[in-house]
Amino acid sequence: MSKKFVIAALLLAGGAVYFLAGMPRKATTPLADFTVPFVYGHFQVPKENPLTKEGVALGRRLFYDPRLSGNNEISCATCHQQALGFTDGLKASVGASGVPLSFNSMALTNLLWGPQRFFWDGRSVSLEDQALNPIQHPDEMAQDLDALMDELAEDETYKALFDTAYGGISPEAVAMALASFQRTLVSANSRYDQYLRGEISLTPEEEKGRKLFMAHPDAKVAQKGGNCIDCHSQFLTSGFSTALDGFSNNGLDGEDGLLPGLSAVTGKAAHRGFFKTPSLRNIAVTAPYMHDGRFDTLEEVLDHYDSGIKDSSTLSPLIVEADNQPLDRRQRGQISLNLTADEKKAIIAFLHTLTDEDFLTDPRFSNPFEEEAGDDAR
Amino acid sequence: MTRAKTLLAVTILSAALLWVFLEMKPAVKPISLRFHALVDGEPLVLDDMRYQNPGGDGQFKVRDFQFYLSNIRLTGPGGDYVLPDSYHLLRFDGDQPYTEIRLPAMDASAFDAIHWGIGVDPEANGTIKITGDLDPNNRMAWNWQVGYKFILFEGGLEDSEGFLPLVYHVGFDENYTPQSLPFAAAAESGEETIVRFTVDIAALFRADGPLDMVTTPSVKFDRDDAARIAAGFPNMISASQ
Repeated sequence: MSKKFVIAALLLAGGAVYFLAGMPRKATTPLADFTVPFVYGHFQVPKENPLTKEGVALGRRLFYDPRLSGNNEISCATCHQQALGFTDGLKASVGASGVPLSFNSMALTNLLWGPQRFFWDGRSVSLEDQALNPIQHPDEMAQDLDALMDELAEDETYKALFDTAYGGISPEAVAMALASFQRTLVSANSRYDQYLRGEISLTPEEEKGRKLFMAHPDAKVAQKGGNCIDCHSQFLTSGFSTALDGFSNNGLDGEDGLLPGLSAVTGKAAHRGFFKTPSLRNIAVTAPYMHDGRFDTLEEVLDHYDSGIKDSSTLSPLIVEADNQPLDRRQRGQISLNLTADEKKAIIAFLHTLTDEDFLTDPRFSNPFEEEAGDDAR
Repeated sequence: MTRAKTLLAVTILSAALLWVFLEMKPAVKPISLRFHALVDGEPLVLDDMRYQNPGGDGQFKVRDFQFYLSNIRLTGPGGDYVLPDSYHLLRFDGDQPYTEIRLPAMDASAFDAIHWGIGVDPEANGTIKITGDLDPNNRMAWNWQVGYKFILFEGGLEDSEGFLPLVYHVGFDENYTPQSLPFAAAAESGEETIVRFTVDIAALFRADGPLDMVTTPSVKFDRDDAARIAAGFPNMISASQ
């Protein structure tokens, strides 16, 4: 066989694999009722893991199944509870080992938008890549993947669901299903959304807070600003999706206390202390706050941004510069937003408009085992 | 002449004709517009307090620099080409020493001028429609009532009194600046035609006299200040051979 022929055959085979990978599976159904607000912008679902009814249903089941953990007691939903915006209400989550994690449980909302890097330090580049990490982490779900495959294979329901959705049970299929379910967790009916759609008006206090949220301050033109929009995008309220713009150092620690954060991933000193800017959707129910859960209330969060910022070499100049002061009254080295108590209260009032009761109670996102138990009881 | 010699002569002639034909045939290749960021003629180095305050004391560093370029059009003897949905965010923090806009396969020699606007044209700046790199949820969006920053420069200055944050976010409708430059290939490769441009950030701080960054450490919503920085837009990008 000539070399050229071999190359051509390989190219053809590669092309076929590429083509087939993008094909919907035989027995799957595209997710029909998946709609999202246009103001959220474009999103991409990986070609090799299209959103299907079967994949999402399987992912939802896996998400709520404690058998995913080594001791069969912890599911994804243990630390990501729907009523709490898919967080757990704890400063730091506690998993199989009983050792509290270093980080606060991340809300799972509108994951199709914002930074397409996952975990607080951005070490994962897709939801598929992220999904198997907590399952295997000794302090989280402490599960052995081979053991999990055996366990799932003993369950006839899972066998049928995996066969239909992904052609069989595998760790990759578990990851794809979990990623698919999480992509459907779209929150888009908060009072802020209703306001954006022109259906309601905000109260004067909420409106004042919205304006402060959406403004970088400029005392020269008498514009007060809360500076939130410099990191939290106007509609999504998440970090930005372009490049690494969705990661920042928000002044929680001084130079000596800076954690590696994103720099552990990029190797760049300029990224020390950078963490993922989270979506603020449902923020009122996702306390405690920050990557390490150090603040219990939104009041503490606002106090931090107003007067608790710690300076360091990687702190954003936007935070240092945003002092709501005319230049002649600016004092170098003093970092403060100089907000009034009423302004802080208004921003918090606006943050409460981001609570989406429909999302927090949507049966499509709830525990399917409870639903099945209810059906059996009827 | 023997038959063999005739055959050889014909072959050589054919090859020569083919060569001439191939040489004359326009090179239809994708065009790569490459933008190299400079400060005062030297390649930009991010996060380094190495640049002199143009109009005063102290050294400054560039932490982030990005800007919008809109409505790319090529003109020349070969006709006009208008790039659709042409809104491009240019940033210089990637792994390559330049940022790139790719145009579809064309004969670059058919054109002798390139036209674009620095910033976002008023119509696009007034909508929240996602076109090209315009995205109301990105870092360049001020908010939907204001539109986009055309240029984002963030950094810091250090002088005898310490550190001063620098924030130049510039972009009102009136700052949109159309520009035309000569268009000529800098290099050809087998796969593409490369056209190079330089973007000198220092131009932003020199157009209206050297700016003292200590007395004007930020420009945002003051229209006169914005106009002062935008006065440097026409000198910022140059064609480079």
